[in-house]
Amino acid sequence: MTTDDSAKFIYLDNAATTMMCDEAAQALSEALSPEFFNPSARYKQATGMLERINSDRAVIRAALGGTFGEVYFNSGGTEGNNTVIFGAKGRKGSRIIIGEGEHDSIYAPAMELKNNGYDVCVAPINTDGSVNFDKFKQLLNENVSLVSIMHVSNETGAINDIAKFVRATKRVAPNAIFHSDGVQAFLKLPLSVAALGVDAYTVTAHKIHGPKGIGALYVKRGAKIKPLILGGGQESNFRSGTESAPLIRSFAAAVRYCNENFEANYSKLTQYREYFAQKLTQYLPDTVIITPFDNSIPNILRVAFKNVRGEVLLHSLEEDNILVGTGSACASHHESRFKQMFGLDDEHIEGVIRFSFSAENDQNEVDHVCERVAYHVNALAKTVRR
Amino acid sequence: MGKRVIIIRYGEIFLKGKNRSYFESLLIKNVKFALDKLLGEGGYAFKRSQARYSIEDYSELKEAEIVDRLTKIFGIHSLSVAMKVPSDAENNFEAIKQAMIPLAEELEEENTLLDPTFRVTVKRADKRIPIPSYEIAAELAGTVLRHTSFKVDLKRYDYDFEVDIRETGDAYVYSKVILGAGGLPVGCSSKGMLLLSGGIDSPVAAYMMAKRGMKLVAVHFASPPYTSELAKQKVVRLRNIVEDYTSRMKLFVVPFTEIQLAIHEHCPAEYMITIMRRFMMRIATKLAEQQDCKAIITGESLGQVASQTVESMTSTESCAGLPIFRPLIAFDKEETMDIAKKIGTYDTSIEPFEDCCTVFLPKNPAIKPRLERVMQAEQALDIDALVEKAMSGIEKY
Repeated sequence: MTTDDSAKFIYLDNAATTMMCDEAAQALSEALSPEFFNPSARYKQATGMLERINSDRAVIRAALGGTFGEVYFNSGGTEGNNTVIFGAKGRKGSRIIIGEGEHDSIYAPAMELKNNGYDVCVAPINTDGSVNFDKFKQLLNENVSLVSIMHVSNETGAINDIAKFVRATKRVAPNAIFHSDGVQAFLKLPLSVAALGVDAYTVTAHKIHGPKGIGALYVKRGAKIKPLILGGGQESNFRSGTESAPLIRSFAAAVRYCNENFEANYSKLTQYREYFAQKLTQYLPDTVIITPFDNSIPNILRVAFKNVRGEVLLHSLEEDNILVGTGSACASHHESRFKQMFGLDDEHIEGVIRFSFSAENDQNEVDHVCERVAYHVNALAKTVRR
Repeated sequence: MGKRVIIIRYGEIFLKGKNRSYFESLLIKNVKFALDKLLGEGGYAFKRSQARYSIEDYSELKEAEIVDRLTKIFGIHSLSVAMKVPSDAENNFEAIKQAMIPLAEELEEENTLLDPTFRVTVKRADKRIPIPSYEIAAELAGTVLRHTSFKVDLKRYDYDFEVDIRETGDAYVYSKVILGAGGLPVGCSSKGMLLLSGGIDSPVAAYMMAKRGMKLVAVHFASPPYTSELAKQKVVRLRNIVEDYTSRMKLFVVPFTEIQLAIHEHCPAEYMITIMRRFMMRIATKLAEQQDCKAIITGESLGQVASQTVESMTSTESCAGLPIFRPLIAFDKEETMDIAKKIGTYDTSIEPFEDCCTVFLPKNPAIKPRLERVMQAEQALDIDALVEKAMSGIEKY
């Protein structure tokens, strides 16, 4: 995985997006020109493409453990999430439950339904970013048509025990559709959608070293979800629009790459994060670690620094070629939604930063990064508003 | 058959007597700047005759955009899209008649008036044609009568078909007039240094000054890492939008962080904004000298924020070596917003990025700062060195 100036920066924002792996980039460039045929055409060049799309589909379904359903390609996580919310909303007036920390592509469509007469409920989260199970259970009744709880929090990396949520839901509302947004979870933890018991599961390629513009929605057989995009009937009538064979090929290549290195990367990232957090708190003892280490994917570390603004720290680190995220928590339209969620005091509430790693990161850079973070935090804390 | 051309009529320039050629040269320069940007050099032909210009030989697909750009250029009174045809007098003005048919049919389609009336106005500069104008007009009116339900009324007409028969043997035929931006051509009222923040007001201030013919240079103060690269890109985009009205407007970005940190460290918090604004004025004045600007322009409006009281403005003004023009001083926010929407800067202005004024914002700024106290507070700073350092880091866009 290289870019022209990859040596020049340290990329710690892999929860936002990832660099494409060589395998995915190569698959894409090899398919881009020659595979221009319309997969719906009847000549053999086209039917051959359709065959390859289906074998790529099998790769992704296998990685999901999706024996009980099918995988439909789409444009990415936002489309997958929108499809489920609008396609499984049920009758007007039915109850829809979403988690408090859901991504905007769940939250915004759900609020749209709320404005149109649906009983949309938001299940509160714990201060570590996971959904509070007890409070979730209180929202269940037989009128629930749809539940959407993200598998892994994009804010903190915290894992929700989706199987438990599914069982609780189906006991009370057997016909409800249970969807989980798996964009941050896919290939970041051992996964089987069959074991989770979900009816639908959203994934996207660009979070796993694949290209932007391609994703997939897993739908369990028998789950009633209407298509969002109608037209020529591609993807078994579930998602119309001419398939992008090159992007699908590249997606499958990225899945293979992540699968092959899964075990090694998982333990590498676990160690890396341990070391990172330890160094960071050594340099800056006032730092609050938000991510729950005993229940999270290993590549996200969300922390809150004292007396700094996250975005200012981000730009300061940027000048040292260290690229980090504030996560979506700092987007202005989110403020009311996220500000209080992590249970931070006034001195820490503005200073939230998300470090997210990939296997490309090297433990040798940790000292440098933490030293720069400490330098900037200390310098910026002096300019806190008087 | 003829071709489509755009006729430009200019306005207030006529009033300026002997300066006319100077004003005209500015207007032509501004028209060419706008059209070169849109079409590339050679993407059109610029022609002048008597008191009019015309744009010819452009791609018809671009016509709507050309008209849009021209209506934003100050000094232009009105425009018309015309058909340029040979006058074809020996053939009973057949070419002109043919050109009038689609114009007439278009007006008939659009017409919602009961019993609509029209006239044909002929200007015959080509005196080789022996027929008087009114006779030509009567001849041409027959074409309109045959293709529409309009009736002739020379005095109280709803539609006017105008035909300019030029000495060149060409005739220009049109039926609609589009109002231009008015004002004076940018460049005829000297040059000003605009403080461009990225908010709603300053682009509107630029528009207002450009309307009265002032050429502008912009200065923006950036405070990385407290303000982001995106905030700077936003200012560049605002400049690009405003350039439709101001013609070329150079943008200088001044690194301001060090000055803000120094003030924050050494001066009382309540004077932060006043002292900061004083530094902006000092730097703007220096830059104005380099750029041959004769005034400083701000988007300040009386009482809008703490730094926009009479006392605050007085405290900052003493650092400027030039007159400060504040075209929005008596505008309500809504009035400014309306103009921002009209000129297309509003949506960009409201994109949420920090600007340098919101960094280190004290909880209780002085609303009526006293100049002598401000100056006393400033003594803790090495003003010249700070200004010099900031000046040396200026980037041009």
